[in-house]
Amino acid sequence: MIIKGKYPIDASAQNVWNHLMDPEVLKRITPGISDLQPLDKDKYLAISKIKIGPVSGSFEGELELKDIKDETHATIVINQKSKIGNVSAEIKMQLNKLENTTEIEYKGEAKLTGKLAMMGQRIIGGVVSSLSKQFFKTLNNEINNTIR
Amino acid sequence: MSNYIGQSIKRREDDRFITGKGKYTDDIVLPKMTHLAFVRSPYAHAKINSIDTKAALSHPGVVAVYTGEDCGNFGVPCGWQVNFKNGDTMKEPPHPLLAVGKAKHVGENVVAVIAETLQAARDAAELVEVDYEELPAVTNPNAAVQPGAPQVHDDIPNNVVFDFALGNPKEEVDAAIDGASHVTKLNFKNQRLAPNAIEPRSYIADYDVTVDKYTLYTSTQNPHLIRLLMCAFVLGLPEHKVRVISHDVGGGFGSKIYHYSEEALVTWASKQIGRPIKWTSDRSEAFLTDAHGRDYVTTAEMGFDNNGKIVAFRVHSEANLGAYLSTFSTACPTYLHATLAQGCYTTPLINIDVTATFTNTNPVDAYRGAGRPEMTYMIEHLMDTAALEMQIDPVELRKTNFIPAFDGVSQPGYQTQVALQYDSGNYHATLDRALEMVGYDQFRKDQEESRKNGKLLGIGFSTYIEACGIAPSAVVGSLGARAGLYESAHVRVQPTGSVSVFTGSHSHGQGHETSYAQFVADTLGIPMENVDIIHGDTNEVAFGMGTYGSRSLAVGGSAIMKSLDKILEKGAKIAAHKLEAAVEDLEYAEGKWTVKGTDKSIAFGDVSLTAYVPHDYPEGLEPGLDFSSFYDPTNFTYPFGTHIAIVEIDKDTGKVTLKRFIACDDVGNVINPMIVEGQIHGGVAQGVGQALLEGVDYDENGQMITGSFMDYAMPRADDFPFFETDRKVTPCPHNPLGVKGAGEAGAIGSTPAVANAVMDAISHLGGVKDIQMPITSERVWEAMNS
Repeated sequence: MIIKGKYPIDASAQNVWNHLMDPEVLKRITPGISDLQPLDKDKYLAISKIKIGPVSGSFEGELELKDIKDETHATIVINQKSKIGNVSAEIKMQLNKLENTTEIEYKGEAKLTGKLAMMGQRIIGGVVSSLSKQFFKTLNNEINNTIR
Repeated sequence: MSNYIGQSIKRREDDRFITGKGKYTDDIVLPKMTHLAFVRSPYAHAKINSIDTKAALSHPGVVAVYTGEDCGNFGVPCGWQVNFKNGDTMKEPPHPLLAVGKAKHVGENVVAVIAETLQAARDAAELVEVDYEELPAVTNPNAAVQPGAPQVHDDIPNNVVFDFALGNPKEEVDAAIDGASHVTKLNFKNQRLAPNAIEPRSYIADYDVTVDKYTLYTSTQNPHLIRLLMCAFVLGLPEHKVRVISHDVGGGFGSKIYHYSEEALVTWASKQIGRPIKWTSDRSEAFLTDAHGRDYVTTAEMGFDNNGKIVAFRVHSEANLGAYLSTFSTACPTYLHATLAQGCYTTPLINIDVTATFTNTNPVDAYRGAGRPEMTYMIEHLMDTAALEMQIDPVELRKTNFIPAFDGVSQPGYQTQVALQYDSGNYHATLDRALEMVGYDQFRKDQEESRKNGKLLGIGFSTYIEACGIAPSAVVGSLGARAGLYESAHVRVQPTGSVSVFTGSHSHGQGHETSYAQFVADTLGIPMENVDIIHGDTNEVAFGMGTYGSRSLAVGGSAIMKSLDKILEKGAKIAAHKLEAAVEDLEYAEGKWTVKGTDKSIAFGDVSLTAYVPHDYPEGLEPGLDFSSFYDPTNFTYPFGTHIAIVEIDKDTGKVTLKRFIACDDVGNVINPMIVEGQIHGGVAQGVGQALLEGVDYDENGQMITGSFMDYAMPRADDFPFFETDRKVTPCPHNPLGVKGAGEAGAIGSTPAVANAVMDAISHLGGVKDIQMPITSERVWEAMNS
């Protein structure tokens, strides 16, 4: 499944980057996430609970950032396991500096197995898109210190 | 008395079914019974690097955990050998009970966890750690044979199980197609279907150490065949040590014919742990692992001359058999498929070419119709498409090409170009009746009128034929079947004249307990209440090949008739002795033997009592009234009929509404019209389901994305109008009841009628050449708007 999109944040690229690289911030703003423990440099153990249509599950697994470049580019590698199936994804992210804002652009592919694939695939595109929007909206709020 | 045949008697078995008292395998609870849960592969294709079962073994309540290494030598066999065109034996890789080395489809059993409770087994199964290394997967049968495609089995090049051809020499057929004045060509996929029996598969194995015997309770369509396959080909057990019981079974549609790895595994493991083991599939497992149906990628061409006469029919298909060969998988795209390529038409030249392939998907096998629906769809969809292309009325096109009527008695059977000889047929008769029912001339006027009003009405035809009553053992044996296909029957007349019939047919919705009792009671001239039909237990029934291929009444019923003949023959000897007359002077009617021309008679019950209390008895005659028979048919039976669908399509949304469905079938003689009609209704529902709604899809990684009833559309009552059905009767000339079989006709005939109706509704819009099944609103809308 292809995952891609763009989202504008009202802040400088540097500011956005700093927030994105802070595990404490990520833990606060990522939907469904309950824990993010550092395992290594740029490598975390993530624990989350997500409901996708008819299936819901507790996920646990690694989340790694690699190919970090210029404080604008990174690749997020996700390997999450759960009783309802596994998710593996590799998503390239870049920050595009615009006039007064920064655009986060991301593109990648996710693979699903198990019940997630059997029952979730039909609606997962919509779920991913709505979770992403929620994430970026919260990030925007976090940076601009508006509604918490 | 003596007139049950032909009456719509309510099914006796329905009392227990509709009051929830049916006895299904999962209802059975044995003392000290354990429960089994499988760890199944989440990947379509993956190397198994290691399996760690320690945590599962130490989970509370766990009794045993097995992996492929523990039972690696046992494998499930295929029941039908098909050879390559060059004579080489088909590729038949081992089909282990639990995956060894590699997992080859999503849902393949990898580890078995047995525990005191189902919950404990499932919890422990989640603790099993399997280290998989994912490999590239292939799911499409056409993609599977391309160079460089992922290899499902490492040692089988290009994933080819076999290649196969049937019919006239290819050069002759090619030349006729090249020289035809019109050729209609279609490329399509006959999509994969999930059988979805309401009762999921369920098995209980119980090994009794005190007598060294096994009992397997299983939801199967053929208990003796399961015992034979499991004992002789999988576990190496002597059959007298194994009892297989299959009480009530909640639907099969083919998916419960096959011997599944789970069945052999519970039986084997029951001896290992010395306790009974139950496994019942859940719905998700059923979607993933009940053998699927169909899945052909096809190019089909039909050539016509100037007068609309078919000159040749040529087909190439790739048939997807999945990752392993299921019991009858190899017969479906070959001898149960290509042999039907004559249809009801006089086509002089036919060549059917099929390549069967392995893919990283669940095994595919017979599903209501087994190869015949796929062939019928090709022929009948080509006919209506050709009619549209050539601007000929589809009814006229059929009438131009029909085989003339023949009864198989005074006129010989019809020899096809594809091996079979049809027994009897009258194809015009069902078409004419169906046209009358639908009011064809008026419909065409209405259609024209409705088009002016912006509505899209369409009519589609299907004049199908099928081959049932499988089958003469010698014939199927010469074609590669690894079993005979006769049937057995044992009729035991009890001393006081009631009758127990033990049949090798298996009822899982067909109503044998009623229809069999009807013709037995009629033949013996006794009340139906005095007749019981017993099936589904290898300890009670001598032998049996089971129920599939619309064979029960034609083959199983004929075996019973043979035993009834023997009973009446012996009864006549006893009656003659008691009446002090010669056997030749007796006639049997309404349950008694009468000396012709006199009022001297003796009732059936008095004769049976005499047989068991032989005080005054013919000299040299054995006591008792109890006969077994085996019946091996001399030919298949060939039911046929006409199905007509009328659809209306919503221009804005592409939604297809089935407005009317007319079925005029000829299934030979009919014992219970209501049961036959029920079979037709059910079959039509499944056939329409394929045309409009159903389809199993795998994504590019081999993950099934239609694994629930929210993702796989089953037809529901509100998808249908009330079906309009009627029958014509052309008796089968070669079996004693003159019956042909009705179980699959609905599913075989209906699918192309619906697809043809959709095309009839939209093809005048221009540009729409064909449409793929399932014909969803989305596909119709796209076709109309592209």
